[in-house]
Amino acid sequence: MTNVLEAVFAILIFPGGLFVLALGLLLKGVDRKVVARLQRRVGPPLYQPALDIIKLMTKETLIPDTANEVAFRLAPVLGLTGMLVTAALLPIGGVWNGVTGLGDLLVLLYLLPIPAMGLMLAGGSSSSPYGALGFSREMCMMFAYEMPLIASFLAVAVRVGGASGPFLSLPAIMDYQFQHGPLLLDPVMLPAALALVLFIPGTMGHGLFDIPEAEPEVIEGPLLEYSGPLLAVFHLMSAVKLVVVLELAVALLCPNPLVAAGGGGVLVNLLWHICKCLVLLMVSVTCFRAATGRLRLDQGFSFFVKYTSPLALVSLWLAFLLR
Amino acid sequence: MLQFLSKLAARSPWIYRINAGSCNGCDVEMATTALIPRYDVERLGCKYCGSPRHADVVLISGPLTLRVRDKVLRVYNEIPHPKVTVAVGVCPVSGGCFRDGYTVGADIDHYIPLDVIVPGCPPRPQAIMEGVLKAVEIWRARLEESVCSHS
Repeated sequence: MTNVLEAVFAILIFPGGLFVLALGLLLKGVDRKVVARLQRRVGPPLYQPALDIIKLMTKETLIPDTANEVAFRLAPVLGLTGMLVTAALLPIGGVWNGVTGLGDLLVLLYLLPIPAMGLMLAGGSSSSPYGALGFSREMCMMFAYEMPLIASFLAVAVRVGGASGPFLSLPAIMDYQFQHGPLLLDPVMLPAALALVLFIPGTMGHGLFDIPEAEPEVIEGPLLEYSGPLLAVFHLMSAVKLVVVLELAVALLCPNPLVAAGGGGVLVNLLWHICKCLVLLMVSVTCFRAATGRLRLDQGFSFFVKYTSPLALVSLWLAFLLR
Repeated sequence: MLQFLSKLAARSPWIYRINAGSCNGCDVEMATTALIPRYDVERLGCKYCGSPRHADVVLISGPLTLRVRDKVLRVYNEIPHPKVTVAVGVCPVSGGCFRDGYTVGADIDHYIPLDVIVPGCPPRPQAIMEGVLKAVEIWRARLEESVCSHS
């Protein structure tokens, strides 16, 4: 019973739910502000994404006559719920070990594509040709960026497990890094780390990979027909997803806390964790999207197949050899 | 509380452009000088959106030509309430230099209520910015009205 209560608390309040929503909106605000400063603009205030959500909540909801209404309303909720559960699973070094017994890396592999599924459902049910185009683009990109993700997960698992076979449990991966130093500093894991850094803009659809929701090409694709509160849920989903992929990369590569857990240490470690997320955000999302333009769908697909997947596979191969 | 929320909400006006047969002069002013890179409306919370369903502030340029008239009206009706309309350039209100053309029907304000008019051929970027600011003021009043009437 306490386990159930703990899981519900983790999904709704911390580290999922409210915490992750607030952090996601803040990170989005930082991202927009820094991009504006990089382009020598003033930029919006840091809390602009929260204002956008409030605005969308007050607007009217329009649903196209030809759309499948049930699927149309369900799609954003599905995506947001999936991401909140994922956020509860992810451990934070020195603060939180993840909900025990809810899952490991394999479950994460199933949970991570849920927002993309939500977008596909949205595009497919909206009965708009641009929605359908966004659907197919989202699906192509998903096939492309899942491969490096799976390969780098396996590389981490094999490296951590060593001679005793791959370890898929997240707390075990954290423990290994507490004892042997972060995997980010492990030369064997460097290619996989680079692959993970490239996976983040791929799955978020930023910079080179802003393909499924390309505004000038497919008019925001799956989101085209959404308005009002339903669109707000999609924006929340994308904010939570941003935190989830950043936290995931931090947990796999560098979860080490600053001070020992317990007492005031938890707060320090939490701030330290947010700092790590911010640095990763700057590298893999903000600077990346300020510096690059969009690729075509086939170019984006072959980028992941040609460059990102081999990087992760090199790590996997090395980890196998050095077991 | 609701009043406070609607004040916060009014700081996030999203902009949508409709080209109703414009010569592209006003569109160039809007896209490249006035609204994003040089004068940065993003600091006001504005964002260009690609879909009419996400929009709050609509910028219309061009004399409503007969060929696009029905499409413009359809797109305008797809914008959720509360919304506000800005006419950019002289064409939407008078037809401008196209007023005697055989493709130009009645002025836009016969079909769509115009809230702010930014004259000029094309208008200066500063004028477009001011038009957007005035439109946001009007939109804020409408937003407060709609939020408070729901409760």
